Amino acid sequence: MFFRQLHNELWKLFGKKRTYIGFFMFLLSQNVIALVFRFTQASRPMQRLLETSGHIAEPFISVLTVATIMLVPVAAFLLPLYVALIGGDLVAKEAEDGTLRMILSRPVSRLRLLLVKWVTGGLFAALLVASLGAFGLGFSRFYFPWGGLFVWMPAAEIFGVFDAGTGLLRYLGGHLMLVPEAVSILTLALMFSCFNVKPAAATVLALSCVFVSFILENIPYFREYQNWFFTHHLHLWQWMFAEKIPWWRIGQSLSLLAGFNATFLAVGIAAFHVRDIKS
Amino acid sequence: MIELLDVWKRFGRRLAVEAVSLHVPAGEIYGLLGHNGAGKSTAIGMMLGQVWPTRGAIRVCGHDVFRARRRALHPVGAIFETPAFYDYLSGWRNLEILSHYTAPTPARRLQEVLDWVGLAGREHSTVRTYSHGMRARLALAQALLPQPRLLILDEPGDGLDPEGIHEMRQTILRLHRELGLTILLSSHLLTEVEQLCTRIGVLRQGRKVFEGSLAAARQSQPWIRLRVDDFPSAEQDLRAAGLIAEARPDGRVALTPGTETDVIVRRLVDRGRRVFEVAREEQTLEDFYLALMRR
Repeated sequence: MFFRQLHNELWKLFGKKRTYIGFFMFLLSQNVIALVFRFTQASRPMQRLLETSGHIAEPFISVLTVATIMLVPVAAFLLPLYVALIGGDLVAKEAEDGTLRMILSRPVSRLRLLLVKWVTGGLFAALLVASLGAFGLGFSRFYFPWGGLFVWMPAAEIFGVFDAGTGLLRYLGGHLMLVPEAVSILTLALMFSCFNVKPAAATVLALSCVFVSFILENIPYFREYQNWFFTHHLHLWQWMFAEKIPWWRIGQSLSLLAGFNATFLAVGIAAFHVRDIKS
Repeated sequence: MIELLDVWKRFGRRLAVEAVSLHVPAGEIYGLLGHNGAGKSTAIGMMLGQVWPTRGAIRVCGHDVFRARRRALHPVGAIFETPAFYDYLSGWRNLEILSHYTAPTPARRLQEVLDWVGLAGREHSTVRTYSHGMRARLALAQALLPQPRLLILDEPGDGLDPEGIHEMRQTILRLHRELGLTILLSSHLLTEVEQLCTRIGVLRQGRKVFEGSLAAARQSQPWIRLRVDDFPSAEQDLRAAGLIAEARPDGRVALTPGTETDVIVRRLVDRGRRVFEVAREEQTLEDFYLALMRR
């Protein structure tokens, strides 16, 4: 029954057009980034950086490097926006449309309904991340040759130069670690969606939490408290591009994100359980 | 089939339902009446486990709806005043989605129900292309899919044209007759309730003000139509005997408590009067309802 209900939730989610906004915007933004890199002088500073560090720049102005450059702004801004949009819709939109009342006249428990929705949201988040990775590689391939991977993320103090094979593995690993970020933001939005609020309010509340955490995390005086901030642990995907992957750091962030998710879900379940569903 | 036992519901400071006890017996078509905001939808929400009561117990099909939700709601189908669907999906997909929250439903059963409600042939069109009447039929189909024993209809005729209302009335009667369903119907349309229901409950400002058979409601007023050869003298005689409490010049009398019509007929005949007609006046449901609301 669970899988049948999950199948139906997926139909509901992927049957509506707004679900595809995220995919479409990824498509658009990645294409624009690839075009700008290809037809402007935007890659010059990167070449200089590689050359001053003793590398030949040309093999690294490649599909993998450009796709990873695309990844940074998309993961920081667009991905949270679209998963929060879907997470905020999961319960609140059904309540607003009245379909939640139709569902809850059936003998399904609220807990099961919420868990099915959460798993559906998780699958959406994973698919969105996979699309992000695939589109990134696809569009970069139109304009750039295959080659090694060069990554420079000054904020995280990451400077990595990898051959094509290792680079591809790191690129895939980075996306794998992006899934917990997407799922965590989606769970946060789902939590707000369980309260008696409009879908847009749930999305805005979730994004506000992410932005507030991000602002706090970036105040220099708060650096030693970074581990307390939700967003600090959302950046774990960046560590997959470090010269030597700090697995302990990734494990720490993953376990903390698991805790955040469990908390968001528990609060959401409690709010949804005690709530009166009225037209 | 449905029992509400001393149920209270408070939304913040507002008391929406106050000490309501209702009993919907199996096999009846039960009409739940009341003005806007009387607490009908809240009561239905509580019956379906969607609204938590502040106090009291709700049993559906013999099970507490909050403690044994699955068992209580398994044999229940429900329709709401504005049935909501996933407009971007087909009618068929909507039925699949909603029915799977009760139990897996084979395609054969889906087709059977679509035939029954008269939607066959349009089931693969998206719901956004459906007319209001078709949506009402789809709502009925989703309610019938789990093969319910109890059907809860919250304002099912709302927004339908006269033809649609007629069709809905015939369908409800057919469901009751052919499938033997117990039906709880909440409606503003008193003529509909009068034509359909065997038993009614009336709510006013969250309180139950009447529950009983429709016949009892119709006969609940005290007037008896009395046609005799000399009404003024007959009235005097009956008053003197303490058999009537009130009389009207048009020939209507109200009996004193405990007096039955046979007693007054015997009295009049014994006194040598000619009695042409003695009949208890029946009031319409509308009169009964309005009288209740004015109290």
